[in-house]
Amino acid sequence: MEKSVNAIIPGLCARVVVNEGDKVSAGQEVAVINCMKTEISVTSEWNGTVKSVLSKEWDELEVGTPMVMLAVTGTDT
Amino acid sequence: MIKRLLIANRGEIVTRIIRTCKEMGIATVAVYSEADREAPYLDMVDEAVHIGPSNPLHSYLSIDALIDAARKSGADAVHPGYGFLSERAIFAQAVVSAGLVWVGPPPEVMRSISSKCYCRHLADSVGVPFIPGTLDPVNDPQDVVAYGREHGYPLFLKLDKGGGGKGIEMVPSEDQVEQIFQRTCSIGNMAFGSGACYIEKVIDRPRHIEIQFVADNYGNCVLLGERECSIQRRHQKIIEEAPSVVVTEQDRELLFDYSRRLVRRMNYHGAGTLEGLRSADGRHHFMEVNARLQVEHGVSELLTGIDIVKCQLEIASGEPLRFRQEDIGLRGHAIEARIYAEDPETFLPSPGRINGLQLPETGRDLRVDHALEHNCSVPPYYDPLLAKVISWGEDRTRARERLISGLEQFVIDGVKSTISANLRILRHPNFASGDFSTAFMNECFNNMGSHFGKEGPR
Repeated sequence: MEKSVNAIIPGLCARVVVNEGDKVSAGQEVAVINCMKTEISVTSEWNGTVKSVLSKEWDELEVGTPMVMLAVTGTDT
Repeated sequence: MIKRLLIANRGEIVTRIIRTCKEMGIATVAVYSEADREAPYLDMVDEAVHIGPSNPLHSYLSIDALIDAARKSGADAVHPGYGFLSERAIFAQAVVSAGLVWVGPPPEVMRSISSKCYCRHLADSVGVPFIPGTLDPVNDPQDVVAYGREHGYPLFLKLDKGGGGKGIEMVPSEDQVEQIFQRTCSIGNMAFGSGACYIEKVIDRPRHIEIQFVADNYGNCVLLGERECSIQRRHQKIIEEAPSVVVTEQDRELLFDYSRRLVRRMNYHGAGTLEGLRSADGRHHFMEVNARLQVEHGVSELLTGIDIVKCQLEIASGEPLRFRQEDIGLRGHAIEARIYAEDPETFLPSPGRINGLQLPETGRDLRVDHALEHNCSVPPYYDPLLAKVISWGEDRTRARERLISGLEQFVIDGVKSTISANLRILRHPNFASGDFSTAFMNECFNNMGSHFGKEGPR
């Protein structure tokens, strides 16, 4: 199953901290959003593997903009 | 004299600069990104130029877009405001190369002082004390280990070209030197194009004291007193005041003497600020030069009656200062509260749209600098500063009471704001008595705002 990790607050993409192929676990930080100069961490809700990275530094983000696509292997909640 | 000024910025500082331009008969050009299409000040200027998308990289940080806007609008000068490109020598140089007047210090001076180690050498050469540490960047983690063995931990590793609270890393012990050294270099290479870092000792419970100066092209330098900006969260100032309750007349004379030596040696023309830290034992340590108009300049304006933006425009036009040091009186007390679009408990950002607004009544003793109106948007892409409320009083107690009363009248709905946080600070007994340091927010508000997120870039 595929799941996207989305922006939780509007702003600019500060950085995506995972790469294609990386394993991530639920609760792990995958990206950082710069909202009004404060950096906000975006974490994955799922365990999985990064299928693709959809955001890059300076991209404009709305709430819900997909940032990272995961192939999900399980959920923790 | 400048005839038509382009203001390369957004928000409240645009409104502030327009006010002085109108008084001086200078025409104004504003620029705006997609997100600022409805900014209230766009109706107050002679011309408004669209410079690009909301993303600041392609608008307020785009040298090409700004120079192009200046050319198209027939501006003969550029005021950079603060933040964005205001301290970038490359922008100042582009403005000058386009045949326009740059409202700021000469580009070559800006280039030099952007290096903190240059500033440390500068202070050293004129006998001004600076924060102990190394004069030059350290090349190897082993140099840090050697320094730590001699002087102890914790210590700071600071990027030579860092700024805005970025590139300051505390090293708690020897076993973490290697890792923190590599990380700091890497941050520097990515964010500032230089990984060079140097060592600074940690000053315990410091107070942030800065000196405002204006210097013309003819060797005249006038000091407009100090400001104390110790009330900060995440290295960002919240409350600023002048004079500082701990600076005596004797201290001020010494600070003024240091300042004159530094400004002369830098060959600096324009308005600027010398930032420093005062240690608990009362000693002053020079830290860095801010080569621009500061957010908190209004505090000094209320104390001295001098319009600092007017000074900037006159100096940039090649005019001498109209006053001398002996004409400057530091009358009464002024305090500024910055209102941010943030949650007053957590300081989490709160962009959105303002759907209710009530401004306090302003006058001789209360000034509000802002660019707000009913139904205006607060975009998520820029600084969270919404407004600055600045009060004046015959003494600190009265200035504090007037600021509290002004903030009590201020209503902002639709986005969260730090009005109530400002009130809590101003009413805190330690603030009222003047007994605080830069650790105030952590000590008095239980680590307010530090339990989430990361350092902001300023």
